[in-house]
Amino acid sequence: MDLIKKTNIDFVSNRVAIFRASVIIALIGLAATFLPGMIDLGIDFTGGTQITVKFAKQSASADQVRAAVGEIGFGGAEIKSFGTTGEYLIRINETGRASEISADIVAGLQKSFSNDTVTLLGADNVDPKVSSELAFDSALSLFLATIIILLYVAFRFQFAYGLSAIVALAHDVVLAFVVSVLFNKTGLLNLELSINSLAAYLTILGYSINDKVVVFDRIRENREKHKGMSLVDLVNLSLNETLSRTLITGVSVLAALLVMVFLGGDVLEGFAFTMFIGIVIGTFSSIYIASAFLIWYSDRVQHKNVGELHTKKA
Amino acid sequence: MSSKTWSKWLLILLPIVAGAYLLWPTYNYYRMNQERESLIGDSAALESWDLANGEDFAKARNARLKLGLDLRGGMYVTLEVDILKLIEESADPLSVDEDFTSILEKTRTQTDNTDLDVLDTYLANFRASGKSLLQYFPLSSSDEAKGGDPEKAIEEKLRNDAAGAVDQAMEVIRQRINKYDLSEVNIQKQGARRIVIELPDVKDEKEIRSLIQTTARLEFKRVMMNRDLIRTFYTIDNVLKGVVAAEPVVDTTATDSTAVAKDSAAIAKADTAKKDTAAAATAATDTSKKNANPYAGLSDDEVARRVKRDYPFTYMLTGLFAQSEKSSFQNFDLILKKAEDFPEQGIYNFVVSGTMLQQFLKYLERPDVKRAMPADLDIVVAARPEGTPAKDGTPEFYNVYGVVREADLTGDVVTEAFPSFDQSSNQPMVLMEMTGEGAERWAQITGANIGKRIAIILDGRVYSAPTVQNKITGGSSQITGATSPEEANLLAVVLKAGALKAPVKIIEERVVGPSLGEDSIRRGVMSSLLSFALIVLFMLAYYAWGGGLADIALMMNVLLVIAGLAGFGGTLTLPGIAGIILSTAMAVDANILIFERMREELYAGKTLKAAIDQGFEKAWSAIIDSNLTNILATVPLLIWGSGPVRGFAVTLLVGAVITLFTAVVVTRAMFTLIAASGATTFNIGQKRTA
Repeated sequence: MDLIKKTNIDFVSNRVAIFRASVIIALIGLAATFLPGMIDLGIDFTGGTQITVKFAKQSASADQVRAAVGEIGFGGAEIKSFGTTGEYLIRINETGRASEISADIVAGLQKSFSNDTVTLLGADNVDPKVSSELAFDSALSLFLATIIILLYVAFRFQFAYGLSAIVALAHDVVLAFVVSVLFNKTGLLNLELSINSLAAYLTILGYSINDKVVVFDRIRENREKHKGMSLVDLVNLSLNETLSRTLITGVSVLAALLVMVFLGGDVLEGFAFTMFIGIVIGTFSSIYIASAFLIWYSDRVQHKNVGELHTKKA
Repeated sequence: MSSKTWSKWLLILLPIVAGAYLLWPTYNYYRMNQERESLIGDSAALESWDLANGEDFAKARNARLKLGLDLRGGMYVTLEVDILKLIEESADPLSVDEDFTSILEKTRTQTDNTDLDVLDTYLANFRASGKSLLQYFPLSSSDEAKGGDPEKAIEEKLRNDAAGAVDQAMEVIRQRINKYDLSEVNIQKQGARRIVIELPDVKDEKEIRSLIQTTARLEFKRVMMNRDLIRTFYTIDNVLKGVVAAEPVVDTTATDSTAVAKDSAAIAKADTAKKDTAAAATAATDTSKKNANPYAGLSDDEVARRVKRDYPFTYMLTGLFAQSEKSSFQNFDLILKKAEDFPEQGIYNFVVSGTMLQQFLKYLERPDVKRAMPADLDIVVAARPEGTPAKDGTPEFYNVYGVVREADLTGDVVTEAFPSFDQSSNQPMVLMEMTGEGAERWAQITGANIGKRIAIILDGRVYSAPTVQNKITGGSSQITGATSPEEANLLAVVLKAGALKAPVKIIEERVVGPSLGEDSIRRGVMSSLLSFALIVLFMLAYYAWGGGLADIALMMNVLLVIAGLAGFGGTLTLPGIAGIILSTAMAVDANILIFERMREELYAGKTLKAAIDQGFEKAWSAIIDSNLTNILATVPLLIWGSGPVRGFAVTLLVGAVITLFTAVVVTRAMFTLIAASGATTFNIGQKRTA
């Protein structure tokens, strides 16, 4: 099978417009997520107690659960449910005794809904001290990982390439984050920001940098092969030459993730969804963001002659 | 076959063999676990299975790929030792004033949300206030005697206490949790003042919690090892004989009867069993008088079975006896004897094998056994096995002690304990100091028990049972007999538990219910396999035979990542799966890069061999750069990332390294073998007309 023929698509002429549009969307989205109540931080980052229970016969509604939990003595508890009916997430702004609280709540709910069976799926109790440490450590390690990527790409290619990769990575993570935050509002999947979802974002980073390096590698090779070719032409040629690989890899990985989104169960589905979004965005940014930034940076900051695209047809 | 092709085959096959070898225990464990689980409910069959396979099972369990609590269910607790509370408690309560509390409070606000060392910050604040530590903290008599800077000595003591508090809390928790026979409990020190406890398969979280937070109880009790102890062993045998022997009988008889019939049958059986054993017991004593062996003429298996039936408690013990301090210990048999058969004078020792320890402790916990015990005697077991652990799998032995029931002295009289070395013999030892009141009573106790032993018991387990050499006045004791500095260190930690209740608080607690754990494993495994199958089929469809080769490399990739994780004793967690997904995606990508290049070369009219060489050569730089970028990016995640992030980084790191190997070395070896076989065409899904 060979689905993608040798192409000669113009990826670069509209680069400025697409780059601007993409960055504007990312920024507006980012601004929107910071409206109050938009980002759902999991207790990993807020601290508190969270209990997940399951009603085998799905007899309780969220309001009934809230009322019952209030009766047990935890008024003002936050009740959420995701996808699977009969499962509820109960969050209480109190720390220090998760097992007692969870045992009390399960027993209390069982009493209130005596014709159903209530099971405890999980309980988490995080001291605010730990959650702030988790947030700090996560941010620090993420920042340092980004710096290392910048340095390595700058060392193996050029500084402009490293910078372009970082800009594209930031774009990917921001957009994936925005989509996740918005999608979380649909209540179909639990996409709260937790320490586990952080691993999903790290995966996006890893996949995306892999994609960028492949394109950069082709540019590096073509630069040697076609001495004197303008940067714009080099970039467009390389994007076309790697297009087949970019799409095939992307599609096969996306298909694998899609299976996990639908069949992965509570634990994997949210995770796989974020990765899925991130890889779509990452593939797009390899073509439009990283290379567009590279050309822009070489042109405007380094004042190199990047040339114009030779619109010759294959 | 030339040596070159041989080496290629080796490159392909060796990693597969290695991977299979590392994953063999994992497979073995799940197979045996299933077998074992099917026996639960049939205690006799389970016991004989454990006896036959226990060792192999434990070995497989240790070497298998471990699943994180997020995937299998369990409880995770992070404890923190409250250093400030410790400082507060070390201070002389009479001297505490406003200045003292304000320095404490200031330190608390400064260190609450930071990584700053609490003690350092506190001492800095103290110095800044211009106060003297001596005003608040008592100086121990030994430090006073030593002379030198008293401020420094107090500082040193606080530092030791802070470091010791974490070790002490860890030791106490380890011992308590072990008592519950939870398999695979993981207790680790994290940083300077945190303890992480991971408990899979917890039934009652509340119980574990109270277990962790109760303060430890340190006691000194006189050791009573004599004929009375042996008599107590036999008494316990008699209590257990009826009950324990009746249990398997109930299981085998009541298969098809109703619940009521089952109960009455059990009672009837139990009654007859009691009568039988009573008769057997008298018979045994009768015959032993005549020195005849009631087990004579029976097969070894049958003798073992009967000994176990007649002496359900004592059969677990091995006795050791010495005439006096100077003579050496001899093993002796406890079976078919009675207490009066043993000499009144002499030194007795008893040990229980590590494999039977849990059963032994369970029997001692039984209310009927407790009732039958003499009012002034208690049976306790050593906290650690005797000597150094044997590496060849021979069972370890724990000392069993008879001690007085009422503690002669409780641990709160201990003010200080630290490991040291005996000046003359250079042997490790522990120095212990007591309060004035404690020292007085200690002098009485030691004075009245010269030549006898006193057990040091923390939470019901014996850490040491030194022999009193002389009357100790003044409260300063030396405890010798530790075989290593580590042992002395542990004993000091234990003794300090009396002086200092290491204040710990739970700062993080996570419980994953077993139902969620089970469900997440099942669905996670199923969806991952399906995803993987999809990729395998896709590669086969798109790259034909080439895709088939890539699939072999991909499967090897996943096999080696998981085997690597199992081999390094790593734990597979949810973020770890993300790492495997990414590394697999990169392995797929590496193969796609190579094939796309090969196709380009083939379309350009190159021969198969040239296309293979060029394809690999040109794809190489992209593969190594992308994988190396990821490998390097895992470094900060490994160093600074918190638990889950580190779990991701580990699998990504292992995965990326293996991807470099499989995609480039293994796939290449396979192609080289094909080219070497003389093939001129090979279908990697390219258009035929090119």
